Amino acid sequence: MVKTQISKIQLFMLLLGFLFGSTVIMTPTVGAKNDGWLAILVGGAAGILLMGVYSAIALLNPSKTLVDILMERLGKVAGNILAVLYIWYFIHLASLVFRDFGEFICTVTFPETPMIVVIGLFAVVLLYAVNSGIEVLGRLSELLVPIIPIVIFIIGLSLISVHDFTAFLPILENGITPVLKAALSFLTFPFGETVAFLMVFPHLNKKEKLKKVVFLSAGIIILAGTVIFFRDISVLGSDLMARATFIPHLTSLLIPGLNVEPLVDINLLIGGGIKISVCIYAASKALCQIVGIDDYRTMTGAITTFCVVLSIWVHESTLDLFSWSEKVWPYYSIPFQIVIPLLLLLLSLRRSKSSNKKEKSLKG
Amino acid sequence: MILRNIKKRTIIVLVAIVLIFPLMLTGCWNNRDLTEMNIVVGIGLDRTEDGKVLLTVQIVEPASVQSVPSGKDNKGNAQSKAVFVVSHEGETVFEAVRGILSTIDKKMFLSSSRVLIFGERLLQGDLEEVLDFFHRDHEMDYGMDILAAKDTTPREILAMETDMDSIPAVYIRETIENTVARGTVKKTTLVELIKDLESGTRQLTIGKITKASEKEVRTEGVAVLKDGKLVGWLDPYETRGYLFAIGKVQSAIVNVPTDNGKISIEIIRTNGKVGVVFENGEPSTLTIKVEIEANVGEYAGKGKLKSQDDLHVLEETLKEEIKKEIMMALEKTQKEYSSDIFGFGIYVRKYHAKYWKKVKKNWNDIFSKLPVDIQVDAKIMRTGIIKSTMSGDE
Repeated sequence: MVKTQISKIQLFMLLLGFLFGSTVIMTPTVGAKNDGWLAILVGGAAGILLMGVYSAIALLNPSKTLVDILMERLGKVAGNILAVLYIWYFIHLASLVFRDFGEFICTVTFPETPMIVVIGLFAVVLLYAVNSGIEVLGRLSELLVPIIPIVIFIIGLSLISVHDFTAFLPILENGITPVLKAALSFLTFPFGETVAFLMVFPHLNKKEKLKKVVFLSAGIIILAGTVIFFRDISVLGSDLMARATFIPHLTSLLIPGLNVEPLVDINLLIGGGIKISVCIYAASKALCQIVGIDDYRTMTGAITTFCVVLSIWVHESTLDLFSWSEKVWPYYSIPFQIVIPLLLLLLSLRRSKSSNKKEKSLKG
Repeated sequence: MILRNIKKRTIIVLVAIVLIFPLMLTGCWNNRDLTEMNIVVGIGLDRTEDGKVLLTVQIVEPASVQSVPSGKDNKGNAQSKAVFVVSHEGETVFEAVRGILSTIDKKMFLSSSRVLIFGERLLQGDLEEVLDFFHRDHEMDYGMDILAAKDTTPREILAMETDMDSIPAVYIRETIENTVARGTVKKTTLVELIKDLESGTRQLTIGKITKASEKEVRTEGVAVLKDGKLVGWLDPYETRGYLFAIGKVQSAIVNVPTDNGKISIEIIRTNGKVGVVFENGEPSTLTIKVEIEANVGEYAGKGKLKSQDDLHVLEETLKEEIKKEIMMALEKTQKEYSSDIFGFGIYVRKYHAKYWKKVKKNWNDIFSKLPVDIQVDAKIMRTGIIKSTMSGDE
């Protein structure tokens, strides 16, 4: 197999696109209402730490994918079981993003188009992208991801006349609990989901830059999240914000004399597309490693189809999707995003220490 | 040979695929051409006597708008009307929107609607019920202007033929836009209504529309609502006082009496802020702070503006005049309507969140009993291109 490599900029853009993903239309911190910005900061700080854990795992196990690491650290049986669970998790994540995308398009843009058509057409394009390889995905995001912050900037600027800058007051109106809950949501969606990148990190050509890339992208997302939050609340006010289905979309509707609604669609297409591609790539790659197939492309078609079907099946309606991703998703994700990676980090640290000792004793 | 054959076949397949793609790119599933839609420019909502929703729409006929006035349309008939007006009853708004299709030919396109006019009877009931559709539907323009019809029905207003513009809804909207220069009607957009309706921190006001004559409407004054129900109206001067207080006046003409005549002052810039002073955890006074920049626009009388002192005197009277208008509006909303349209509640919620939680339910009663402190800061900058009146020089 040819060794595929991506540059640090490409990885950075991939991460950025992944983190923006469906976050640009679904606001995970909506439960905290006025204090969403606090939730973003708290959840973001935790998110940076979590992504630090992932990159530390990748650095301690150079050029090994998640599956290799699991096998090596936990033994064949447990490693295989966990790897299969992870594959399920990536597939589930991809299908959720598909569903977010489909729900959004069907709610605001094409209400009479069947969702399966929207999702299916999107899936065909993404399958093509994934099959072209991770390098192409990297170059693609290099090209497209910069559009997202530009759009956010344009929307924010055109709304400057309708801003009410004190709308985020009062602070902590409903106490600290909703803030912490929302922070957990924000930690698991999108930061924790970057666990899928453990399948991508080995492709980075300069390993020493990994930490920098990870932290920078997470920092930018926190900044963008805060900016988006203040933009939305100062335009919509907290009550309307709590009621909206897709908050950034509603905000974009309010620009006087201008219709920039499609720009939000574009953001979702780019971010969601990259997120789904990475998930499908990670799932196919992992599956191939377990069963011992060389080329991950043999699996992508099957997995994408499965994702599309799952995305239609898994939820009954928009409300189901929303309440599920708000109430169940964070807890469901914790083992995959936090518990297992932390375990892997500990095991990797111990192993590397003991191997250091061995080396020393050998030298001595 | 075989290789070449395969190549040929792939090319044919590729071309076929490329030819199929454009079919998918033609637009959305339920694509409709302009000619297959009825373009709605104005919506009126009212209640019938038995409590049903009465929907009236003003639909524009694009072909007639283009042709010259009093001309003939392309079939050689006499000029047809640019708009037609249809009404329909329904249990809910959406039912009426769809039900109207039994009387008109094509499906309605609602995004282009410029104005939404509520009838008095509808406003006396619960506004929330009918507003939900406009909030939920993805086709609605959130910037649409909202008006309340007084002494007339939305249908009468929408059915009015005007000479100003071939589309009456556009004419109505333009008159509201003019409020920028006069400050006597509040421009209320759909989104503002939605924002304030449920928060309970500010009661709603909706611009008032009346029939001025057979061919003209008048948009002046506002309707005052309390918890989504109509409680009364403010006249143009009270409206202006109200708008001064919340900082929504952009320009206006205020008449100031002087010793020998009247001076019309043109307000060019204003800024208004409301607040509440708290003492021992309880609200003690409402505060309204208004800053004004103005020019002298007209001196109807025999007088002279000689020095800075004259202007200072004038500023003082202007302040009093504006204070009076604000006071009029405030007293009426406090004493008669007991409805916090100024948004003092927003201030309390933002800066005294704990107290607000306690009194949320009966804030309007508390608001009605509080004394008020109005501070107006007026500055007269210029006197126009002449200094004194024509007969002013002795």
